[in-house]
Amino acid sequence: MLDSVVVDGVGKTYAGSVEAIREARFRVAPGEFLSLLGPSGCGKSTLLMMIAGLLAPSRGSIRVDGVEVQGPRRDVGIVFQSPVLLPWRTVLDNVLLPVEMLRLRRTDYERRARDLLSMAKVDDFAAKLPHELSGGMKQRVAICRALVHDPALLLMDEPFNALDAMTRDQMGLELLRIWDVHKKTVVFVTHSIREAVFLSDRVLVMTPRPATIGFETDVKLPRPRTMDMQEADEFNRYVGLLRHSIEAGTRP
Amino acid sequence: MRGRSLLWPLAVTLAALVAWEAVVAALRVKALLLPRPSLVAGVLWSRAPLILEHMWPTFYQIVLGFLLSLVGGVVVAVLLTYSEIVRKGFYPLIVVSQIVPKVAVAPLFVVWFGLGDLSRLLLAFLIAFFPIVINTATGLTSVDDDFVRMARAYMGTRRQIFTKIRLPHALPLIFGGMKISITLAVIGVVVAEFVAAQRGIGYLIVMANGLLDTPLMMAAIAALSLMGLALYGVVAGLERLVVYWQVRTETPRGGFA
Repeated sequence: MLDSVVVDGVGKTYAGSVEAIREARFRVAPGEFLSLLGPSGCGKSTLLMMIAGLLAPSRGSIRVDGVEVQGPRRDVGIVFQSPVLLPWRTVLDNVLLPVEMLRLRRTDYERRARDLLSMAKVDDFAAKLPHELSGGMKQRVAICRALVHDPALLLMDEPFNALDAMTRDQMGLELLRIWDVHKKTVVFVTHSIREAVFLSDRVLVMTPRPATIGFETDVKLPRPRTMDMQEADEFNRYVGLLRHSIEAGTRP
Repeated sequence: MRGRSLLWPLAVTLAALVAWEAVVAALRVKALLLPRPSLVAGVLWSRAPLILEHMWPTFYQIVLGFLLSLVGGVVVAVLLTYSEIVRKGFYPLIVVSQIVPKVAVAPLFVVWFGLGDLSRLLLAFLIAFFPIVINTATGLTSVDDDFVRMARAYMGTRRQIFTKIRLPHALPLIFGGMKISITLAVIGVVVAEFVAAQRGIGYLIVMANGLLDTPLMMAAIAALSLMGLALYGVVAGLERLVVYWQVRTETPRGGFA
């Protein structure tokens, strides 16, 4: 089966000579939930932005569904650290923004937008403005927006960072539920080891700048994942494994 | 909420007027020097036809000058935002042009553009458009990078990013500029009327001054102030309608950013 994402020898050097990413090389299978795990500032967000076509790699190439990424694509959804909701638009209109930008017919997607909102349990707020929502609700809306045009690939850049720990766990569960229904390929950037283990099929550990992929592991926990799993020995074995690999990477 | 916030300034104004009335009566100040508020109010009423006649040209020139500076200011701000040539070449000139006291060039405008409406309109425009330019340009460029990145990720074009993100984002600041601008347009028109006009509130003030008719002069000033207040109120009311998403605070927004 054709890989959903192929990152082939990608490096990024910023103007001047700041080398953010030395070399990254990995593949993501269709429907896979992959996490990029690493310390802050290691370039994992940069890598995600390059997959999204928002940044050009300095070296190497990225292919999404077999086509080289030259810029943003129609079939990619993206969720940022902050919800980035337009304050003058209602929740529903925010979710439909990609539909407008992509010049699709709004009427064709309004139903889907409402279904997504109800799946994310924010359908009661469809007509409200973003400032009336809590942080967790805003990020749910942002996830709905990323899915509204039914993209094959969902890119998430530390989406639950700004949330408190309890909301964060809850959001992780709900993300998995939505992912299970919609069968998207997900590339998820995080610096939380537990979050990476809890959500992913596979975790890639990035070393500090200039980054490379230092370690990789499949997470063979059964699905659907539950909160209780976080206390299981097997879960914590993965957490320990990843922590050691990060510590090994940060050591000079 | 809104009614209560008006209560205090109204009470203070009323108290000041009563004090003024009392002091003038107690010290027997001549009306030529300082007329009592009640006398000014009386003149405002008895000479209303005269005052209204002069108010109309002032009013429409203020509105026209304001609208001109709104459109001109937004266009210039868009050019500043999108054109490097305009930004590098013209922006410093626009700023420097604000250092020239515009009131001082009013007589020059009369020489260039004649005694008609045009010179008054241009002066109002020149004074009123600067806050619109600055506030609009600030609003258009202060959009958080994340918003632009998000829009680009969904393949938003430059035009879409302008109409769907930058412009609405700038609206609160544009209105901040408009509120300053409308008061400046009043100054621009009245100053131009001082210099050369056969009609208008500015002309009426100068004329009353020449006749030593202080009560009429003050009545004209009062009428002008009320008009300025009303125009400001219209802009502020429009702001509430248009910028509906802003969570309101008591402190004024915008300002000379």
